[in-house]
Amino acid sequence: MLLDVMQAGGGFILLEDSVQCSARGLLRCFIHAALKRGEDVHVLGFESPETQVCAGLDSSSVQRLHFHKGFPDPLGWTCRSSFTVERFTSQHITQLIKDTQHAQASVLVVDSLSMVLRHHDPVVFCQTLQELRKGGVIKTIIGLLHSDLHQQGIVGIVCHLADTVISVAPADNERLSVAKTTRRTKSGKVMQEEEYFSVSEDAALSVQAKPRQPGHVQRERDVSEADPTSNLTFNLRLSEDERKAKEKVALPFVFSQQKKSALLRPTPGSGRIVYEPDANDDVDEEDPDDDLDV
Amino acid sequence: MAAPVRGMIGSTSIGNTTSFQKKTRSKLVSIPGTRPSVQNGQLLVSSGVSSLDYVIGGGLAVGTLLLVEEDHYDSYSRMLLKYFLAEGVVCGHELFLASARDHPDDIMQELPSPIVDDVAGMKISEGQSQPSDPENPDTMKIAWRYQNQPKVQTALASSVRFGHYYDVSKTMEPELRQAAKCHSFYQLQETPVSKVRNVLRLGLHSLGSVLWGDDVCCKDNPAHCHALTTFLYILRGLLRTSLSVAMVTVPSHLTQNRAVMGRIIRLSDTAIALESFKGSEKETNPLYKDYHGLLHVRQLPRLNCLSCEVPDTKDLAFKLKRKQFTIERLHLPPDLSETVSRVSKTELAAGCGSTATGNKHLDF
Repeated sequence: MLLDVMQAGGGFILLEDSVQCSARGLLRCFIHAALKRGEDVHVLGFESPETQVCAGLDSSSVQRLHFHKGFPDPLGWTCRSSFTVERFTSQHITQLIKDTQHAQASVLVVDSLSMVLRHHDPVVFCQTLQELRKGGVIKTIIGLLHSDLHQQGIVGIVCHLADTVISVAPADNERLSVAKTTRRTKSGKVMQEEEYFSVSEDAALSVQAKPRQPGHVQRERDVSEADPTSNLTFNLRLSEDERKAKEKVALPFVFSQQKKSALLRPTPGSGRIVYEPDANDDVDEEDPDDDLDV
Repeated sequence: MAAPVRGMIGSTSIGNTTSFQKKTRSKLVSIPGTRPSVQNGQLLVSSGVSSLDYVIGGGLAVGTLLLVEEDHYDSYSRMLLKYFLAEGVVCGHELFLASARDHPDDIMQELPSPIVDDVAGMKISEGQSQPSDPENPDTMKIAWRYQNQPKVQTALASSVRFGHYYDVSKTMEPELRQAAKCHSFYQLQETPVSKVRNVLRLGLHSLGSVLWGDDVCCKDNPAHCHALTTFLYILRGLLRTSLSVAMVTVPSHLTQNRAVMGRIIRLSDTAIALESFKGSEKETNPLYKDYHGLLHVRQLPRLNCLSCEVPDTKDLAFKLKRKQFTIERLHLPPDLSETVSRVSKTELAAGCGSTATGNKHLDF
């Protein structure tokens, strides 16, 4: 599903990473895929330089990539950056995108959302994102969020706002990482998938499907194979003749068919006791208290 | 505590259903789509889902607030809101929808279309007891006295048909939708609100989420908690003095402070919570494989009476099928396999309230 999300785009895609595994390589893959589709990409770079993003792109793609420099001065202290964190409001960004000529299907990439969240109120930030989504100028927003830099509540609300959430984590294999993709469609359907992926130097993404847990299946098979009637000092199995004889044994309280259906019919008063005297019972009609001399 | 005896006339063996119907008094306003409750005479409207009506005591009383705690990805609570609004359109009530995340017109366009014929109504009788004939090879040999006992009735239904069924795969016809007057409020634009006469159904989507401007969902000590609780209090007061019903969905899984949710539940009348299995470890639990999630009833109102109508079991699970949103009792089927061991039984029994810790089990 990771490749589908990358090829299709649309909506708000959130890449969540942590200090153990960075998703910046994956972000580069997304940018390259959007440029290949012919879309205008605006990158707000607060945490990485332009050279890192533009490496490996041909000239026509570079023309459509608009890098707004924020690194290495995201707060504007030395006045060296063209876009500072305070300017992350919907008016500024919409103006920025409208300024580019014949902009069509713009993609906004924010590297990273954590830098913006630390300097803005979370409520205002989410409302800005919502305005950008519904504004109609931007088709896709891709944001990178470092989940270990914020409180759980804040990460929760940003994930709740996103249409697709991709969280990366390190896998046992050193070359690969695990990506867990959760995609929410407009109709309310939710799809989830976990995949192994690796990113090469030229921003090519290779994805492998994650195998199901092998240990779990093994345990279930073992349980069904254990035969309790083997390795015993006594015999628990039945031969054919023995089984036939067992089925022929007359069960106690087995009645004829008419009696059964008569009993099964709902009677007006439930709770009747029907007693059929057994072979060992001797029914004596006399009262045993008769021979008492009282 | 002595349980009140209900529905002595014509009660069947299926739970608390009764075919008792009160004669309508002429004093009550007769509005289409409403009926008086058999328990306390309140005017009820259907919530759009007939099994939910059964769980909350026959329907939503006019003048009350239904709170729905959203599931994690807001798929089923949004579906419930759409059922609520679709029921309003079909019954001819007026609608008011406020939403911050999606435009109300988008939600209105996704309303499911009502099923006109009576196909869904016949499904209620599926779970009834069927006496098997003696020639049937499935008749029991030793336990034959139990042959005619009814199987466990999992579907919740009352014998009186109230509410409609909807087909989720089709959307409602635009003509039907436009026949109902609908007002909407979208967070990103201003719209005026007008006075109404009919029963008004209010739907508020995702109240308390960040897009409404509240920080209830992101902070441990939210500054806007007071504003939210005051709003709910005033809303309930407004509802009581008018012929309206409100359904509010709240993303409770995002609130960081448990006390806030407790206050919000106390300030509403009926409160239910949806917990979907998607993405949680319960998805692989074999007990839950037929269902999409669990439904918890958090609170039921006591309107002008001393006790409330409580469903007989608290283990309820829901599943969303194309033609019906069913809520069923969760029950353990009889264990007929030969190789089952005690260990797996404790895993299955986790749904009934006890949690199994590892492989320990009591041995006698």
